[in-house]
Amino acid sequence: MKRLILFSLLAVIVSPALASAGEDGAAILKNRCASCHDLKGPAPQTIRELWKRDAPDLFYAGNKFRREWLVEWLQKPVRIRPAGVNYLRNINSTPPKSQKGKAGRKFDVLWGEVLRPLKHVKLNRAEAEAAADALMDLRPHYELVAGKKLDSKVKVTLDSGELLIDKVYGCLSCHQIEPGYGGYTGPELYTAGARLQPEFLLSYIDRPKNWDPKIWMPNMHVKPDDLQKIVHYLILLSKEDFDASN
Amino acid sequence: MRPTKMMFAAGLLMFLAAPALHAEEAFLNYKQYCMQCHGMHGKGDGVNVPAMNILPRDHSDNKYMMSRTNTEIYKAIKFGGPAVSKSVKMPPWDDVFTEDEIRQLVGHIRTLCCEQELVRGVNFR
Ligand code: HEC
Ligand code: HEC
Ligand code: HEC
Repeated sequence: MKRLILFSLLAVIVSPALASAGEDGAAILKNRCASCHDLKGPAPQTIRELWKRDAPDLFYAGNKFRREWLVEWLQKPVRIRPAGVNYLRNINSTPPKSQKGKAGRKFDVLWGEVLRPLKHVKLNRAEAEAAADALMDLRPHYELVAGKKLDSKVKVTLDSGELLIDKVYGCLSCHQIEPGYGGYTGPELYTAGARLQPEFLLSYIDRPKNWDPKIWMPNMHVKPDDLQKIVHYLILLSKEDFDASN
Repeated sequence: MRPTKMMFAAGLLMFLAAPALHAEEAFLNYKQYCMQCHGMHGKGDGVNVPAMNILPRDHSDNKYMMSRTNTEIYKAIKFGGPAVSKSVKMPPWDDVFTEDEIRQLVGHIRTLCCEQELVRGVNFR
C-alpha cells in the first residue's frame, strides 16, 4: 500500500513534466492551437463562415511561412493585423468628439481589444521549434506555389517599390509599409518579406482568392513584371530596422 | 433613417429589382468588401481613410451619385476607378463577385444615395 501511494505521488509530480517534454509538435498544435486556428481546411467558402473565423488559417502554414520567422514569432508573438482578424468586428462609426477628421470629415475608427498589444500563446524555444516543424509539414497547396519563382535579375529600390505599392496599385490603402504608415484592414507588409515565402507572396498577390476565397483583398491584376518587383521590394523592406528609425 | 422610412425602403427593394434575398446578399457584400474604405454608412469615411490620398466616394451624396449612370457605377465596381477615369485607389472587383452580385451592388448603392429617385421610378440607365 505504501508503495502504491509513493508511486502515485511520484506519477503526479513527474507526469506534467514528462508530458510537456514528450509533447511533440503535432501534439502542441492539436492541444494548444486548434481551438482558435483551423489546421485542417478548407478556408471559409461563404461570408458567414468567414465571420466565424477567430484566428488566421494555419492549415497551409508550410506553403506560407518562413520557418525561422515562425520560431521567433511563436516565442514573442506581436500583432500582424492592425485591425484584427476581421476588421468588421473592431470598427466604430462614432469616433470620439476630439478626433480630427480628414479634410473636415470624420471617419470610422478602430476600438477595443485591437488597440492593445496582442495576447497570444507564447512557446519556449524547444516548443517553438517543434511547433514550427509541425506547421511546416502542412502543405496542401503545392499546386498554388509550383512554378512560382523569384527572378533574381529584377532590381528595385525602396522608392520605386513604394511607388508601385502606393500610386500604381493602391495597396497602401489597406496595408502598412512602415509602422503606422498605411491602412488597417490588411496585414502589415513591412514584415511580410521576412515572414512569408517568396513563392507564397508571388502566388497570393497574384490571386488572393486561390488561398482564401472570401477574403476582402481584391485581385489587383498586378502585371507579372510588377509582381516580381513588388515581392523584391517587400523582401528589401523587411530588412529595414524600423525600431531604430522610430 | 426613421423606422417608417426604413420599412418603406426595404419594401421598395423587395418590390423593385430584387427579391429580398438579393438585397441581403448585396448588403453582406457591401459590408465585407466596401465598408473598409467607404465606411459603415457608405459616407466615404471608412477606417482606411487616414491612409488614403484620394478620398473614397460618399455613396450617400445624392447630387454626385445622380450624375453617374448605373453603367458607370457597374464599371467602377467591376474594373476599378481607372475604368471610369477615376483613381486606382478604387480597386477592381471582377475576380471577387459574379455578374449578378455586381448588379445587386449597383442596386444597393442606389438605395444609399437615391431613395427618392427610386420611389419616383427614375431611369438610371
Ligand atoms: C486564443 C486563440 C489563439 C490560440 C489558442 C492560438 N492562436 Fe495563433 N493567432 C491568434 C490570433 C488572433 C492571431 C492573429 C494575430 C494578428 O494577425 O495580429 C494568431 C496568429 C498566429 C500566427 C500568424 C498567422 C498569420 O497568418 O499571420 C501563427 C503562426 C500562430 N498564430 C500560431 C499559433 C500556434 C502555433 C498556436 C499554438 C501553440 C496558436 N497560434 C494558438 C489566436 C490564437
Ligand atoms: C482592399 C484592401 C486591400 C488591398 C487594396 C490590398 N490588400 Fe493585400 N491583403 C488584404 C487582406 C484583407 C489580406 C489578408 C488578411 C488575412 O489573411 O487575414 C491581404 C493579404 C496580403 C498579403 C499576405 C500577407 C499575409 O500576412 O498573409 C500580401 C503579401 C498582400 N496582401 C499584398 C498586397 C499587395 C502587394 C497589394 C497591392 C497590389 C495589396 N495587398 C492590396 C487587403 C488588401
Ligand atoms: C481600397 C479602398 C476602397 C475599397 C475597398 C472600395 N472602394 Fe470604391 N472608391 C474608392 C475611392 C478612393 C474612390 C474615389 C475614386 C475617385 O474619386 O477618383 C471610390 C469610388 C467608388 C465609386 C464611385 C465611382 C465614380 O464614378 O465616381 C463607386 C460606385 C464605388 N467606389 C463602389 C465601391 C464598391 C461597391 C466597393 C466594394 C465592392 C468599393 N467601392 C470598395 C476606394 C475604395
